[in-house]
Amino acid sequence: MQCVETLRVQAYFDSEVDAVSAADIERHIEHCAECGAHLRNLEGTRVMIRNDLTYSRAPPQLRARVLRALRKEETALAARSAKADKPGRLVDRSGWFQSSFWLGALGGAGATAIAATALFFVLSVSSNTRLLNDVLGAHVRSLMPSHLIDVVSTDHHTVKPWFAGHTDVSPVVANFEQQSYKLIGGRADYLDHQRSAVVVYQHGQHVINVFSWAAGAGSLPRDTTRSGYHMAFWKQGDLAYCAVSDTGWDELLGLVHLMRSAGTHDARE
Amino acid sequence: MDEKRGRFEAQVLPHLDAAYRFACCLSSPQSDADDILQEAILRAFRGFDTLRGTQVKAWLLAIVRNCYLTALKQQQKRAFVPLPEEDDGQDGHAIISTTPDPEGDSIRRDEGRTLDRLMAALPEEHREILVLREIEDMGYREIAQVTNVPIGTVMSRLARARASLKTQWEKEVAGEARAVR
Repeated sequence: MQCVETLRVQAYFDSEVDAVSAADIERHIEHCAECGAHLRNLEGTRVMIRNDLTYSRAPPQLRARVLRALRKEETALAARSAKADKPGRLVDRSGWFQSSFWLGALGGAGATAIAATALFFVLSVSSNTRLLNDVLGAHVRSLMPSHLIDVVSTDHHTVKPWFAGHTDVSPVVANFEQQSYKLIGGRADYLDHQRSAVVVYQHGQHVINVFSWAAGAGSLPRDTTRSGYHMAFWKQGDLAYCAVSDTGWDELLGLVHLMRSAGTHDARE
Repeated sequence: MDEKRGRFEAQVLPHLDAAYRFACCLSSPQSDADDILQEAILRAFRGFDTLRGTQVKAWLLAIVRNCYLTALKQQQKRAFVPLPEEDDGQDGHAIISTTPDPEGDSIRRDEGRTLDRLMAALPEEHREILVLREIEDMGYREIAQVTNVPIGTVMSRLARARASLKTQWEKEVAGEARAVR
């Protein structure tokens, strides 16, 4: 075997060709049995890898270890650049290097102590921590291939009824495409012992998941950033909401604002 | 928090899991992958000011790969020093854990495990390109950036990698069918 078009068929399969070439290749596949079989093989291999290969995530201990090292590095870099701003460093280079090393090391130890204290306080508020972890975990899981959306629709009249059958709550659903938050679908996720509803928005290149679940009596976690993801919490009606994304804070809070005003609008109707 | 670290956490850390998977794909044992990940994140932080453009993930994975290559070179240097004889006894548990056991056998029939094993047996350049394309969903241009080869090489290598994995999988399935009979 080996039709000359094999690599182009692969490029077509990988969505790496423009529309004109794609049409051209599609015509070729209709006539070439070999390339037709090749395309099915490519699809089979992809499905197999995506379904069966173990999909791992950085374990929490490792994540914590890396973040600790990062804080240490930050302090060391800051100490080094502060020292570098002083004149005369070229004259006494070895002394400069050594003292900056110790500054960095001490600063690093300080940062570690502060981080440890902060960690202690975070751990002592355990139920909210679990909620944060659950939401974050669900968000990261949703970013895995084909986990993002259960119901694909830009129409809130489709997404909202879908939640009624698949989740325990009925959240605010609206398309804010004009404000550049495009509704792309919805998903059901298990959160806080409930089938929570997740409304999925796209903002530029970023995905924003808005989780919602029946609010308990306790207070919600404060807005925070975990592992690079911003998480904004609020209560609205009987529901608790959390918007999660790697987009900027302003962009995330923009959506929160829109949803809150859409919610009051809903209630008046 | 420093403004630079804030930006770094927002832009780079969302790709921490991808970086971890890629480190695992390149290296074994596990501890090496952990070290490589940490070193890569620190290097990325130091070089964060030089990052231009939006392909943060490809940029980060390229750093992971460089860290892996550096670690590999160091290991090869160390490999010339023979290990002392008496260490073998202490490492006994490691030897035992790799021998086949009935429970492990049954688990290994599980498709996921089989595929993990087949992937692990592929040449490194095939394994990494499959992970970048199918798991991390990267385009040819990004893969070229990470693996430091021209796009043409990405295409041909990807084709060979896919064909090779498929062949191994079919062999595996045929072997299992014989074993059942």
